[in-house]
Amino acid sequence: MKAIIILITFIISYLSSHILQAQTLNWENLKKEEKHILNINAGWENSMVFGLHYGYHFRTEKPLVAEASISIPAGSYFLDDFKTKLGGQISFYKIDNFRLNASVHAIYRRYENPLVVFQNFGADATVVLGYYKLKWFASGEFGFDKAILTRFKHLEIYKEVYPEAKNGWYGPSTGGNFNFGIQGGYSFNRSDITLRAGKVMTQDFKITPLIPFYVQLGYNYKLD
Amino acid sequence: MKTNLLYTAVMAVSIFFFLGCETENDINKLGNLVPKTVEYDSSLPSIPINGTQLHAETFGNPNDPMVVFLHGGPGADYRNALNVKELADDGFYVVFYDQRGSGLSKRHDKKTYSIQLVLDDLTAVIAHYRTSPTQKIFLFGHSWGAMLATAYINSYPDKINGIILAEPGGINKKLLDEYGESSRKIELLSELTSNLFYIDQFLTGKENQHEILDYKMGISSSFSYAKGNDEGIEGPSPFWRMGAAVLNGFVDISENEGFDFTTNLMKYDTKVLFLFGEMNKSYGYSFARKEAMYFRNAQIEEVKGTGHEMIYFKWENVHPIVLFYLNELK
Repeated sequence: MKAIIILITFIISYLSSHILQAQTLNWENLKKEEKHILNINAGWENSMVFGLHYGYHFRTEKPLVAEASISIPAGSYFLDDFKTKLGGQISFYKIDNFRLNASVHAIYRRYENPLVVFQNFGADATVVLGYYKLKWFASGEFGFDKAILTRFKHLEIYKEVYPEAKNGWYGPSTGGNFNFGIQGGYSFNRSDITLRAGKVMTQDFKITPLIPFYVQLGYNYKLD
Repeated sequence: MKTNLLYTAVMAVSIFFFLGCETENDINKLGNLVPKTVEYDSSLPSIPINGTQLHAETFGNPNDPMVVFLHGGPGADYRNALNVKELADDGFYVVFYDQRGSGLSKRHDKKTYSIQLVLDDLTAVIAHYRTSPTQKIFLFGHSWGAMLATAYINSYPDKINGIILAEPGGINKKLLDEYGESSRKIELLSELTSNLFYIDQFLTGKENQHEILDYKMGISSSFSYAKGNDEGIEGPSPFWRMGAAVLNGFVDISENEGFDFTTNLMKYDTKVLFLFGEMNKSYGYSFARKEAMYFRNAQIEEVKGTGHEMIYFKWENVHPIVLFYLNELK
């Protein structure tokens, strides 16, 4: 387990010191001089979620974007639940208008309800295969999100239910979900309007989350 | 480049030692997040019946008329219904048990559950505690427990001397869906929605990983008593441990096979007592009447000042109605 922590730390540190994170991008429309990519998005991803992304585009041979993001679910209390991600994505293979892309992110997220508070370190990885034109793109994605290490803090209501419940860090992994779906978008000037949608399954492929799908509408604006 | 790699390595080592100071708990270790079941904790009262081991206890004189309490769920337990043990002081032998796979009873594979199996469990519980063939048997069911009591009467109309049904949430699939639609409305932008769904990325668990799934179900229960809930539930009520596999098993049965516990109810001549909470906007007199019409003889009573969890929050209002009914049939 400690090795995993070290690995996460390594990923976070490495990516934050070298590159900055997964916006849905039209790689064909991303110009070399466009360095900064701002994104806002909204949709259903384990709740009704609103997000902000920042991406830094490196002038490398293979297009590389470092990313940082925060997303917050709707609700009455600000920042009782949230997810932050740090990582990057690369378009590493291209043939004609077809591209194969990959992204990896380190995740820190929080959840609170009247019985418990969770803090979690996790990671996700996604592979995207798509067809990209200057004005539009369509692709398929397959990803995995792993909740690697989670801190449990039980609140009064649960302490009354089970006083012996242990607080603290829990491992090995407390959860994991696969997702597979489609991406698409329309590009104009310095902007992309994007849509992602798909299905979520738990890591044993036998249990589905209460609402087993995701959908996200996003807007990118690119600056030099 | 080398400097950055060195910086990263130093940070990783520092965090390694920092986290090393705090003990890590094993998510799979029994007792860490939810109490052990009777299978692993011999200090708990239990009975071995019908191929399982049930957490069970009794109150009162074993020779008095028996009242078997059936808790809600599926997958909840009888902890929030312990007020019912007061009936022991009224001359009844009160039997509580956590149904198979629920509360502190033994866990089983999700695929093993069936309606007939839990009916057989109830038959076995009654046989286990019954002290004479002439001892009268009453069933007192709450929510899912009331559905189960109805299913029992439907299968064995001549074995039970009276039943109390506190808001059965649908005694056939159509009524269950109707009740579910009116009581489980989701508002997309509410805190309740994020509390219920956002957790799916933190805790998943595998199909029969009972500790994790039961824990997750338990800590997700707060949606039922969220402010303004339609069922009029005042707040949290205690439970020991939820049973996720049994809940999922019965949800699958309901969705794939459907169910109808009303086909034979007209053969039951004894008066049935229906209870509904004044504050439960989803149930009310109209829904109670819909369910009661399947019985030949039913009495419907409103419990004032409470909602679905009437036994925990307003036992003082439930008790006289139940006692009057039981004394009529005793």
